[in-house]
Amino acid sequence: MTNNLKVLRAIKNISQEELAKQIQVSRQTINAMEKGKYVPSSVLALKLARYFENRVEEIFTLEATD
Amino acid sequence: MNLNNFNMNSHFLFPHTFKKIGYILFVPAFIATIAISVFKINIDNYWVIKVFAFADTFVMTNDKYFTVTQNGVVDEVILFCLIIGGILIGFSKLKIEDEFTNKIRYESLVWASYLNYALILFFTIFIFGLSFLNVLFFNTFTLLLFFIIRFHFIIYKLNKSSSDDE
Repeated sequence: MTNNLKVLRAIKNISQEELAKQIQVSRQTINAMEKGKYVPSSVLALKLARYFENRVEEIFTLEATD
Repeated sequence: MNLNNFNMNSHFLFPHTFKKIGYILFVPAFIATIAISVFKINIDNYWVIKVFAFADTFVMTNDKYFTVTQNGVVDEVILFCLIIGGILIGFSKLKIEDEFTNKIRYESLVWASYLNYALILFFTIFIFGLSFLNVLFFNTFTLLLFFIIRFHFIIYKLNKSSSDDE
């Protein structure tokens, strides 16, 4: 699964640290998601979608291998 | 939605402050364990008190069951510190515990179990007689030790890598 969290974060001009605080996860979690090393739970995906005022499908995209 | 309920996978974890207690118990006990086995220190004659025993048996003596007996309790105290301390270090929440750290915790526990039992199988093949008792003794806490080392190493690496990025 890929995501465009890094882009959305750049648009909002917010650091990993600040986003992590808003979503109540650790900064490493944001970092791991941006690097594609961690696939978030549906709860976390929905929280990110709510924060960025986007639909989950617009943030996260399935890959061929999924 | 109540954001505080977000950590749904951390039901069985202790609060973060318990981690410090874990270190206070585990580290001295671990150093003592290593010192006792490296320098072959005899601890049987220290802290000898009367204890109740389900079983108290040795080679070439009368076996006693459900009895009160004399015992040096240094080794018992050390093992209590190792296990309770180890559990508190390994299973207290991190400062920020979330689903990602939960996943790392789970993976480290699986990894530590494989390593621990691989070592037991290895020593089963190559260590015989009374020496094998040593293997069994160390096995009382090595699973926890491997888990703690691996878990904190991964968290440390992640902390480092994400601070490099910003």
